[in-house]
Amino acid sequence: MPSKSTRGAVAAALLAAFPAYHLSAQSDLDRLALRFASMTAVTGLEQAITDSLLALLPGSTRDRAGNVTVTLGQGSPKRLLQCPLDEVGYVVGNITGEGYALLRRVGARTTYPLFDQQLEGHRVTVFGTKGPVPGVVAVKSTHLTRGRVAAGAPDPVFTVDNAYVDVGAASAAEARALGVEVLAPVSLTKRPLPYGDRLLAGPGAGRRAACAALVAAVQAKLRTRGTVVVAFTVQSLYAGNSGLAGVKALLGPFDDIKTASLPTRYTDTAVETVALAEVDKLMREMVQWMEGR
Amino acid sequence: MRAVRDGMLALLFLSAGPPVRLSAQDSARIAEAQAVLAPLVESYGVSGAEGPVRELVKRLLPAWAKSETDSAGNLWVRIGQGNPLVVFVAHMDEIGFRVTAIREDGSLELEPRGGFIASLFEAQPALVHADKGDVAGVFIPRDSGFTRHTPPPVRVDLGTTSRAATMARGVSPGATVTMPKQYVRLTGTRATGRSFDDRVGDAAQLLALRHLDRAALKHQVIFIWSVREEIGLEGAGVAAAALGTAPRRVHAIDTFVSADSPLELPNFAVAPIGAGPVARALDNSSVTPPAYVDSLVRLARARGVALQLGTTNGGNDGSMFTPYGVVDVALGWPLRYSHSPAEVIDLKDVASLADLVRAIAESW
Repeated sequence: MPSKSTRGAVAAALLAAFPAYHLSAQSDLDRLALRFASMTAVTGLEQAITDSLLALLPGSTRDRAGNVTVTLGQGSPKRLLQCPLDEVGYVVGNITGEGYALLRRVGARTTYPLFDQQLEGHRVTVFGTKGPVPGVVAVKSTHLTRGRVAAGAPDPVFTVDNAYVDVGAASAAEARALGVEVLAPVSLTKRPLPYGDRLLAGPGAGRRAACAALVAAVQAKLRTRGTVVVAFTVQSLYAGNSGLAGVKALLGPFDDIKTASLPTRYTDTAVETVALAEVDKLMREMVQWMEGR
Repeated sequence: MRAVRDGMLALLFLSAGPPVRLSAQDSARIAEAQAVLAPLVESYGVSGAEGPVRELVKRLLPAWAKSETDSAGNLWVRIGQGNPLVVFVAHMDEIGFRVTAIREDGSLELEPRGGFIASLFEAQPALVHADKGDVAGVFIPRDSGFTRHTPPPVRVDLGTTSRAATMARGVSPGATVTMPKQYVRLTGTRATGRSFDDRVGDAAQLLALRHLDRAALKHQVIFIWSVREEIGLEGAGVAAAALGTAPRRVHAIDTFVSADSPLELPNFAVAPIGAGPVARALDNSSVTPPAYVDSLVRLARARGVALQLGTTNGGNDGSMFTPYGVVDVALGWPLRYSHSPAEVIDLKDVASLADLVRAIAESW
């Protein structure tokens, strides 16, 4: 029985996730990829999405680190098929007297040099203790910069240290009354966008679509060769990939390890793009791998 | 895939919990302001392509109001008889892009329509407003030039790989481009979205008309919803030329860009959001004569409207009337983060601005 706060966290992860657009020829896997791409799982704070996985995968369990695993088949060989769940994101680090939340980044590795700048002037969601709280990250008004910035003046990139999250509160007390507290996860508001010929864009869309493919593969009720441990791992982007290390320590050793992943375009941006045809292909490949074909 | 479908049902069940109802305690005034403003904010109308906004304004007018559209695309509503003629003008257009060319690889080259920080659009979802309907795509992230606000020219990827494939989606040069937008309530009476500038002005005029006591009018009043403000006050210029020296006053109802933000310098434009509409007494396009500001203050006080006074940057449609000897008494409401996807307002200011517009029409 999930706790009240857990249920709230699950709802929080899914709220505001309704797609703005509908895929033209949605399959169930397309919809699952879209929905996973709508979720937020800041590294180390993945509980909401793992709650969802537990609901999706009967027989699955969550270990003490937070990884969700399900064991299929028996005997040898014993193999591991894993999908990292987490994403680089932010937590509230402080709240100013005027009610703005300040941020600390969690997870360091991204390939996009302007990763933090994507916050500037955009919607974010604070996953507070009372549910998701909509907010925006402050940006200078275009009109008020006119005539005040000399041509050729330094224009350093935006970093998380410049981020003031405005949830509409006028004081720290008002922000806290919304459930905005230090350590609350924060991410760009997720509104994954289907476009083109079955393309899906959104922050971390590649990872989430790969995990959706793995869920679909597990649900295919296949006959595995030997034992296959399927793991949806946490903290892959922090503390030396400790989630995977924990799975290996607790359930290993493994004769073989495979990671579910997909090629992406515009990687690590807010429009990271994955081809849903590749998601279908990955699901088939993982079924074959588990069956030992 | 049955199991996946079952899983989806589980997810839907889990997501069915009650959302945080930030607007549950709204007064009737705030609820009405939001009901008019939200659809205006969520409609699209880049400068020169204001048709959807104009049609929505028409639908939101009170049933008695007769509107007409001039050759420029401005929407007019005339009420009352006699002099002095007083004009209100709020613009319908928003910033965005226009397609200038389609590359061989299918991507779109763009030019900006209006002034804004281009980096706020890159690596974001895009909407191309094509003849056959909106087409989704993405603003392509830059792969070089990693400074803050000066990206290389922004392009759009529609997921196509050839010019022919792009054109087959109904996209051609001249189409306008924006990013998807939503009106979202923040805590209290605050809200965020894109193009509050100047949909709040549009909404304030509509709300004023809805509550106007037409029997109280002592002279003719014209309400104009104008086009192409963001690219040089063009629609207002057409309206001003048509009216010539006839109006005594014009009231541009447009954004007061506020320095009520931790990022702004505090030496001017500090009008807190939620503290009421603002007399935009000095901006980059006009100065309101002090005697008129004084009259406005007296009127606001008499009608119980909390009015702020201030000076900010930007031009306003009313300034196109001043060469004809018309006095521009511009009014606004405080806005944070102007021309960004995350503008922030307070709905109390919208309702109060509408009260002030109504008061001016009836009593000044």
